[in-house]
Amino acid sequence: MLRTEEMILNVGPQHPSTHGVFRLILKIDGEIIHEATPVIGYLHRGTEKIAEDLQYTQIIPYTDRMDYLSAMTNNYVICHAVETMMGIEIPERAEYLRVIAMELGRVASHLVWWGTYLLDLGSQSPFLYAFRDREMIINLLTELSGARLTFNYMRIGGVKWDAPDGWIKKVQEFVPYMRRQLAGYHELVSGNEIFISRVKGVGKYTKNDAIAYSLSGANLRSTGVSWDVRKNDPYSLYDRFDFDVPVRQEGDALARYECRMAEIDQSLKIIEQACEQIPSKGPVLGKVPRMIRPPKGETFVRIESPRGEIGCYIASDGSKEPYRIKFRRPSFYNLQILPKLLKGENIANVIAILGAVDIVLGEVDG
Amino acid sequence: MIGWLKGMKYTLNQGTKEKITYQYPEEPIPLPDRFRGIQKFYPEKCIVCNQCVNICPTDCIQLTGKKHPDPKKRGKIIETYDINFEICILCDLCTEVCPTEAIIMTNNFELAEYSRSKLYKNLDDLNNHVTNLREENKA
Amino acid sequence: MEKGIDERNQELIHYVNILKNQIGENGLEDYYINELAKHTPTIVVKQEVYQKVAKIVKSHPDMQFEYLTELHGTDFQTHMEVFLYLQSISRKRSLILKTKTDRDQPIVASVTSIWEGAMWPECEAYDLLGIRFEGHPNLHRIFLGEDWKGYPLRKDYKDENPLK
Ligand code: SF4
Ligand code: SF4
Repeated sequence: MLRTEEMILNVGPQHPSTHGVFRLILKIDGEIIHEATPVIGYLHRGTEKIAEDLQYTQIIPYTDRMDYLSAMTNNYVICHAVETMMGIEIPERAEYLRVIAMELGRVASHLVWWGTYLLDLGSQSPFLYAFRDREMIINLLTELSGARLTFNYMRIGGVKWDAPDGWIKKVQEFVPYMRRQLAGYHELVSGNEIFISRVKGVGKYTKNDAIAYSLSGANLRSTGVSWDVRKNDPYSLYDRFDFDVPVRQEGDALARYECRMAEIDQSLKIIEQACEQIPSKGPVLGKVPRMIRPPKGETFVRIESPRGEIGCYIASDGSKEPYRIKFRRPSFYNLQILPKLLKGENIANVIAILGAVDIVLGEVDG
Repeated sequence: MIGWLKGMKYTLNQGTKEKITYQYPEEPIPLPDRFRGIQKFYPEKCIVCNQCVNICPTDCIQLTGKKHPDPKKRGKIIETYDINFEICILCDLCTEVCPTEAIIMTNNFELAEYSRSKLYKNLDDLNNHVTNLREENKA
Repeated sequence: MEKGIDERNQELIHYVNILKNQIGENGLEDYYINELAKHTPTIVVKQEVYQKVAKIVKSHPDMQFEYLTELHGTDFQTHMEVFLYLQSISRKRSLILKTKTDRDQPIVASVTSIWEGAMWPECEAYDLLGIRFEGHPNLHRIFLGEDWKGYPLRKDYKDENPLK
């Protein structure tokens, strides 16, 4: 009889496959995990506390730093919360620019995920291809907003800049290019037998688990729940576009992969329509009072970020600073299911499961 | 085995594509006009209204003004103006609120220094900083 | 828009009636439509019945709020408040559920047995506000660590932690 002993394995906090500072304590017996304990908080910056002393406009750059892979959606959620409270109307052109920027951000974010996930699984080249194409999106967004990741582009009531001359055209040219690239990605990876045997059936959970654990985004949709805030509780202009919500039934890492890849395609579809519908000129900032003071009361809004449902709660006492601001950060909620998923798994699957959740640690820790 | 071979084909095809790597730092990176880098400051334009200090989310601007030396003119002129680039997040809010465009952005982003004290830039540093100025500063 | 609001009103009344039937008149503190939060029905319940209400709103066939979108606490100086944003995916409806608790001895029943997704958010509220969730399987200071002094999101918080 072979005698085995339980041992503790520390993954992280600094580990390339945790995509940030995240620590995982694994109790393993041989190759099998008995218990997994995630340790988070290394990147906690107290955004919510800092924001209590800031005016609303000043909070927007802080939200850039939560989910730094898709800062546009974070910018949007706080602006949307304040606009909902104050009943501000946003000019049409600004709203279209926001949608285009957010969807470009979604594509860029999914590309980073795609590249790094395959890197986690041991495949080098997709990472380079993904970053090549993401760079084009980043260049487009830099031209629009002036920064590569921390855009600080949206303002309460609109956006900071109108699109530069010819920018919409460039986006329109980018869409078919990205479609071709996406087809190439499928050729390179999606049919690859090694990849499929690596992710198929791995990290599986059911629809009921996904709902009970408050998962959102592709993590939820991969189990057969068709839930996308853009469709189910339309905000901004999403009710004007024709797009589908990709859903898979299996609930494993492969299903999540397929969902995200299909989402890129849908985002491109939205961008295409938005570029066609956008009014050729018009103001980009609505009628906003000089001092932004939402009425006394509270609000909660949510939107769909690449990682799931991002929400913003504001309790206002009528002054220019929020009394309390709270962000529902999708990565934080999505990561909760990890101990359950890892229990009884083979240690070789840890990274494949963690990677498929798609977390950004800046967002997990707030 | 088919899928695997397809992937190989894709990879081989990439060899014929144009190279896209940036040759940085040998060649500077082309940046659009809106890009935000170290600020440029025009002391003569500043009216010491303190708006930039008030809007800065990280409190990294410090300024002092003094009375106009010409007694016939009212208002103040700037005396010292410091930005602490240890904590400046280049968010663009100071340049956005400045009524006279006394502070504007440039495209110079290289802030790495060997000593922390070099990250405190004072009025002269920001005034003598004249390359790659941003042309369009107000939306 | 007007019609939508009317519907929400009826919806809210319906929920309130169900709850009154099951827990009696006294458990409910307040209920209203929150106009600032896109007209979401809001129910404020007493701390004692909070867990019971949570069970009902999840399992009652007319409610079915099976998805917890958000849970957090707020320090309102006179009291602490726990805020839940619930979603019914099958019925496509949302509901805000709130409960108040004492500020010096903030203890609220945990809802982790009802929604597992409340696990970490409750830890977060405990870590940053000091609200104890009774019945939580593993309540710990999730961000700051066990040796952190004070609860930062309380309004009277003063940092007394030595710089490391
Ligand atoms: S760019 Fe932002 S952080 Fe930097 S000095 Fe201006 S307002 Fe402050
Ligand atoms: S906002 Fe402009 S004019 Fe006013 S103090 Fe700052 S730099 Fe000077």
